Amino acid sequence: MALEFTRIEVRKLVKLYGATRALAGVSLDLQAGEITAIEGHNGSGKSTLLSILALAARPTRGSLRFGRLDPLERPALRGRIGLVGHAAMVYPDLTGRENLALTAQLYGLSPSGPEVQGLDGRFELGRFMERPARTYSRGQLQRLSLARALLHAPQLLLLDEPSTGLDVKGVERLTEAVRAERERGAIVLLVTHSRALSEALADRRVVLDRGRVVSDGDAEHAA
Amino acid sequence: MSRILRATWVLLLKELRIELRTGEVVVTTGLFATLVAVLTSLSFYIDRQSAALVAPGVLWITVTFAGVLAMGRSWTREREHDVFRGLLLSPTPRAAIYLSKLAATLVFLGIVELILLLLVGLLFNLDLTEHFFPLALLLAMGTVGFAATGNLFAALSVRTRAREMVLAVMVFPVVAPALLSGVVATRELLGGAPLSEVVGWIQLLGAVDIAFLVAGVWLFEPLVSD
Repeated sequence: MALEFTRIEVRKLVKLYGATRALAGVSLDLQAGEITAIEGHNGSGKSTLLSILALAARPTRGSLRFGRLDPLERPALRGRIGLVGHAAMVYPDLTGRENLALTAQLYGLSPSGPEVQGLDGRFELGRFMERPARTYSRGQLQRLSLARALLHAPQLLLLDEPSTGLDVKGVERLTEAVRAERERGAIVLLVTHSRALSEALADRRVVLDRGRVVSDGDAEHAA
Repeated sequence: MSRILRATWVLLLKELRIELRTGEVVVTTGLFATLVAVLTSLSFYIDRQSAALVAPGVLWITVTFAGVLAMGRSWTREREHDVFRGLLLSPTPRAAIYLSKLAATLVFLGIVELILLLLVGLLFNLDLTEHFFPLALLLAMGTVGFAATGNLFAALSVRTRAREMVLAVMVFPVVAPALLSGVVATRELLGGAPLSEVVGWIQLLGAVDIAFLVAGVWLFEPLVSD
């Protein structure tokens, strides 16, 4: 497959917003089958790094490689990325089923294909999927959000504060889904303030401060 | 190209499905257009001669403000649950996002303009049947240029706090050539000029539409990217 990759290389990434330096030379390697947690205070550059990896923002300087591919020249690589954030990123006036069908079509899949059909059991999607997403509880929205992000079996899974507002059951469901993605061989990047979530999931923890990596180690030995 | 057209179609169907379910764009703008037509007819109608002078202004002012309302409402949908971010993260061609919003605006405003034409004809006691097709053509062409520009700036408004201000302040100066051409050509037609006398305005509208469409497709991606 032309758009396959098992490794991501980030080299001396700099991102400027006017006079503000959001990233000041971040270098990082991410591997398939590994969950890397990015930690840091507000303004440390976590979200900017995630936006660049999601190909939603372009770096000012530095390089980014998905395997041998330059993602800045290959926007089709967006089809290999999934993102789970605290917002569900679904249309509230469409039903859950319609939202998944729309996502499938935008990722080049059939709206009634096996990828969509297989989601019901995996994410405990029930009869609520026939109702508009506006009527969903936080837990139901999260299940829909996870299904939407993982429907196309992304090679890079980005998690942006995914546990915000979730109850214990919701966090457990999230943890299971992310571990399953690691087992499948996805590269997983978790951006979170939650030390508990990071400790429960991450194989490796990277700490950012003022746009720089100040600590990079396995989860047991990181600061 | 086929990828862009396919994605445009998928996203346009999404727009129409949401509108059929909520009715919020067509109902809101339709009511607004009706209110303006009724109020202006009560205020300005004296006789058929004055009506022919006032009606073009009423038509175009109503279409312009209804258009701003429609585009603002349509793009506000993309803010809820951060859904626009999800769209930008997908491999959907950016041009398809823009073109689907433009096509949806044309459908919604087309319905409102049809109602408006009938209302203005009725309330201003004008026989529009004679000029119906040229008038519809002028309105359609004016709306294409207006919506092509409006949707570009409305997309920006999804990410800014001063949403309505961005739309109003930036759109009107840019679309002035389309609106002015439309108003003058409509005035000439309702004043009894033959179609051949407004062909120049129609050609100008066509040129403006093409320029705005090309600029819209070309500028949309850089405008919505960080």
